[in-house]
Amino acid sequence: MPSPRRGGGTARYLLTKLGGAVISLFMVVVLGFILFRVMPGDPVKTMTRGHPVTNEQLAILEHRYGLDKPKIAQFWDYLVKLLHGDFGDSYQYSRPVGDMILEKLWPTVLLVGTGTILAVALGLWLGTRAAWQRNSVFDKASTGIALAFWSMPTFWLGMILLTAAGGLFPSGGMVYPDTPPDFLSQALDILHHLVLPVITLVAVVYAQYQLVMRSSLLEEMDADYLTTARAKGLRDDLVRRRHAVPNALLPTVTLVFLHLGMVVAGAITVEAVFSWPGLGQMTYNAIGVPDLPVLQGTFIVLAAAVLVMNLIADVLYRFLDPRVRAV
Amino acid sequence: MTSTSSTTTPLLELRGLTVRYGGRSGLLAVDGVDLSLRAGETLGLAGESGCGKSTLAMSVLRLLPKSAQIEGEILLDGEDITQMSFGRLRTVRWASASVVFQGAMHALNPVKRIGEQIAEPIRLHGTVPAGHVKSRVRELLEQVELPVARADAYPHELSGGQKQRVMIAMALACEPRLVIADEPTTALDVIVQAQVLALLSRLVADHGIGLIMISHDLSVLGATCARLAVMYAGKLVEEGPSRQVIGEPKHEHTKALAAAFPTIGDPSSRYAPATSSELGLPGAPEPVAEGVEPLLRTDNLRVTFTGRGQTTEAVKGVDLEVYPGEIVALVGQSGSGKTTLARTILGLQKPTSGQVLFEGKALPHSARALRAYRRKVQLVLQDPTSALNPRHTVYEAIAEGLRIHKLPGDERELVAQALEAAELRPPERFMTVLPHELSGGQRQRVVIAGALALAPTLLVADEPVASLDASVRGEILALLLRLRASLGLAALVITHDLGLAWNIADRVAVMYKGELVEVGTVAEVLRDPKHEYTKQLLAALPDGTALPAGEVTA
Repeated sequence: MPSPRRGGGTARYLLTKLGGAVISLFMVVVLGFILFRVMPGDPVKTMTRGHPVTNEQLAILEHRYGLDKPKIAQFWDYLVKLLHGDFGDSYQYSRPVGDMILEKLWPTVLLVGTGTILAVALGLWLGTRAAWQRNSVFDKASTGIALAFWSMPTFWLGMILLTAAGGLFPSGGMVYPDTPPDFLSQALDILHHLVLPVITLVAVVYAQYQLVMRSSLLEEMDADYLTTARAKGLRDDLVRRRHAVPNALLPTVTLVFLHLGMVVAGAITVEAVFSWPGLGQMTYNAIGVPDLPVLQGTFIVLAAAVLVMNLIADVLYRFLDPRVRAV
Repeated sequence: MTSTSSTTTPLLELRGLTVRYGGRSGLLAVDGVDLSLRAGETLGLAGESGCGKSTLAMSVLRLLPKSAQIEGEILLDGEDITQMSFGRLRTVRWASASVVFQGAMHALNPVKRIGEQIAEPIRLHGTVPAGHVKSRVRELLEQVELPVARADAYPHELSGGQKQRVMIAMALACEPRLVIADEPTTALDVIVQAQVLALLSRLVADHGIGLIMISHDLSVLGATCARLAVMYAGKLVEEGPSRQVIGEPKHEHTKALAAAFPTIGDPSSRYAPATSSELGLPGAPEPVAEGVEPLLRTDNLRVTFTGRGQTTEAVKGVDLEVYPGEIVALVGQSGSGKTTLARTILGLQKPTSGQVLFEGKALPHSARALRAYRRKVQLVLQDPTSALNPRHTVYEAIAEGLRIHKLPGDERELVAQALEAAELRPPERFMTVLPHELSGGQRQRVVIAGALALAPTLLVADEPVASLDASVRGEILALLLRLRASLGLAALVITHDLGLAWNIADRVAVMYKGELVEVGTVAEVLRDPKHEYTKQLLAALPDGTALPAGEVTA
């Protein structure tokens, strides 16, 4: 029943979800701090490796980074800075981590965005076709292939692609240094570099979209309202497009957004293999040190991506499904 | 059916229609049916689930799954549906013949507004010029007596009766000459059912539409259709004017169908549900002696639900008694609070105030004490198919309760006794069987056996026969009567079926908007109702299922 309180309900719903996300983010901050500190490795020793250093010099370095303070005090300092928008300075590069993340963010968004859009489109299309022709050759073959790709290790697939198509595409990086600075040449060069990483990413993730779309459409296929639609005289593809697919899309949308957050994190492997200058590669390089401020910063950014995507999924679902809206 | 007397072609004519599922040797769902319907005629198609009546109806628009093979001819306005090209078939669908589907809840697309769904076939078939679609939808909603503003509603925002009205509006959208209504009122309450049937009859008569209505309930068909056809095992076994088929059924199966739903007020069906079991029926019970303590008593019971700033009073101060060995029917329409009351009695819902007393003691709160209580008060649910775990054998289903309550004695022995008591004989044959291998009636017997295994003193049954076929209904009701006679088992039966109350209950409690508006013996309440709502309930019954008040008293 439409009630005058519906608007208030939505606002309250949003506030509840938002509050939940903020609490989750705080937990992530705490967890990130602890996690990287129990990890093996001493940043001061790694940085000074190969140089003759005295214990005094090490102590000075530790003092400079605040590593000599008790852990609780370190966390407090970190938290206060964080609330001011300061992620701290990188141990390796002595630069503000915030700037570094901003710089590396857009290559990652480009890679993950392109990959996800293609994977979602491919997965949904294949899943719909497979379900509509259940048990056909197409269904069996496409599901089998999707599963095979899904079970491949990302780095392995990436390296196979590099070996197989190495001559045609650049083996790493995002842009050649000698490319003319005009927009078109830069864009084309980036596109050229993007091909292999995107193919790898798509191949590994599209299967889940296909399988979810397939199973949720199969669930709708026996629904009575599809018989109603057929009885009305609708063509088969209209029955599918207008009635079956919109309903089957509902659970899929949630999954797409849930995974989008994880794809950002999952891109670490792809970026490492193809030396793509994004957040993933930066994280990968920081682990060896360990460059604590960088790790903590990227950890928060990746976790925030997951949280934001979850939030969007919740809100979108409520917007799309009238049944959820009423509850 | 060879009617050559008239020169006009019948609206619909079936000639030797045979439908088979899954290949030559497959299941024969419809077996050589001949049937014809003239324009403006109304025909009722009766039969139990699985008799092929729905398959027959769906074959008319060729809506059967691919595995179905159709033989014979289906002539709609003289044109054979089975020979039509797919394109021609699509133009015929809905424009010439439309369907009111069973269970409007699922037959409507849950994520589309109802106005849009009604408009869809109008646009598709170009019934009215594009600019007039909206006004046509408004007109249709008015015809089915729904507020025009409801066009923007989604299906879940409507009640069951309103959804069925939407289905009817949709069926009439393209002004078809034939409407097929498949169990259009099965899930609805008596009062809503009467409204929907009246509406459908009026619209069909006004527009001169031919109607085929399918139901398992002869009285519903009798109230709406001039002619009746009865199907059994895929064959048409009897056909004729409704009055004649219901009044003087010839075929064995028609007789069973006609007897399944008793006439309220008919003394021959009092304490006598239709049963063919050789176990017979116990006589009318002794009236409860004066001064006996009630087995179960609710004392000013209230249940209030709060959520989102709204409070709903589901149960508003109910005082109800069930005496040992007594069968009480709790009747009322859906939403009247009868299920909440039952849940509270079972200790599944905490009362807001008031209390439930069993054998004179208030219902305990601790989990352990509640478990002991639930052993004595067992629940039988409406749908045995979903009440049983499909992967548990009958033995497991019954033994589970025994294990939870750690009843002493040999488990196998107790299970055998329970099966015996529920008349599943010989018990050994049923123990290793899985639910899907049983018929609906047998499944409900398994559920009852599971309850009986714990030797309860009270059975709470929520619509125990609503999902069962007419012929099985009587058998299960007779079982309840025999259990009462042999074990002294009391029962609280929750139902919207007044005929059930007439068949087996000693007393009736009528619930309306959370209150018991009338409580009394069956004869008092059903033959001489005092409360306005009880009168409405009785008046809503299809013609011929209740004798006028006071005519005969049992």
